Amino acid sequence: MTWMDVAAIVGGLFAGVLSGLVGIGGGQVFVPLLTIGFGASQIVAQGTSLAAIIPTAFVGGYTHVRHKTVDLEAAVWTGGGGVVGAVVGALLAVHVAGPLLARIFGALLITSSFLLFRRARSQPETP
Amino acid sequence: MIPLLVLWAHVDQRRANATSLVAIIPIAIAAVPVYYFTKGSPQVDLRVALFLVIGSVVGAYLGARLLKSVPDRPLRYGVAALMLLVGVKQLVFP
Repeated sequence: MTWMDVAAIVGGLFAGVLSGLVGIGGGQVFVPLLTIGFGASQIVAQGTSLAAIIPTAFVGGYTHVRHKTVDLEAAVWTGGGGVVGAVVGALLAVHVAGPLLARIFGALLITSSFLLFRRARSQPETP
Repeated sequence: MIPLLVLWAHVDQRRANATSLVAIIPIAIAAVPVYYFTKGSPQVDLRVALFLVIGSVVGAYLGARLLKSVPDRPLRYGVAALMLLVGVKQLVFP
């Protein structure tokens, strides 16, 4: 075991807490962690983060299901629909990828974040 | 996926976060083989993934427990802020 392995465990712990708290948004932390911290290429970082998220999501997801905070029906249709998109998206990422795809994704996230901010402000506190 | 759930399906933030984590399971399972098999060399670093997982499964359990006690409004701002941060990073340093 090397120091890099220890760093991976600590980074994993941090990304795991975020995943448990905010769902896939937390999983996105794995990618910059791997590119900046471990010098991985963007593609390897994405592939590795996807592999790492599987057991992470099982544990976090199971805990959420026990807490009854999961909308199982919605999970099935977004997850099921996402499978098709995931294969197409992964093929695009592996074979065409490049900065353009990352930039489009970034723009999409920024737009979504503004919509979420607006909604967070306009909506009253729910119990 | 979270914006989809919160903005269109009107799921509250807590449920959206938890649901997205469950929904990512089939998605990640479908995507990993594409990264592993469809290029000359596997685009997955299994060794790093293994050590990440050792930390992240513990983290995921703690995070999931923590979610129960965080109120909805700070959670909504937190998610939006995280999304903005990752989005800006992707846009500026793709």
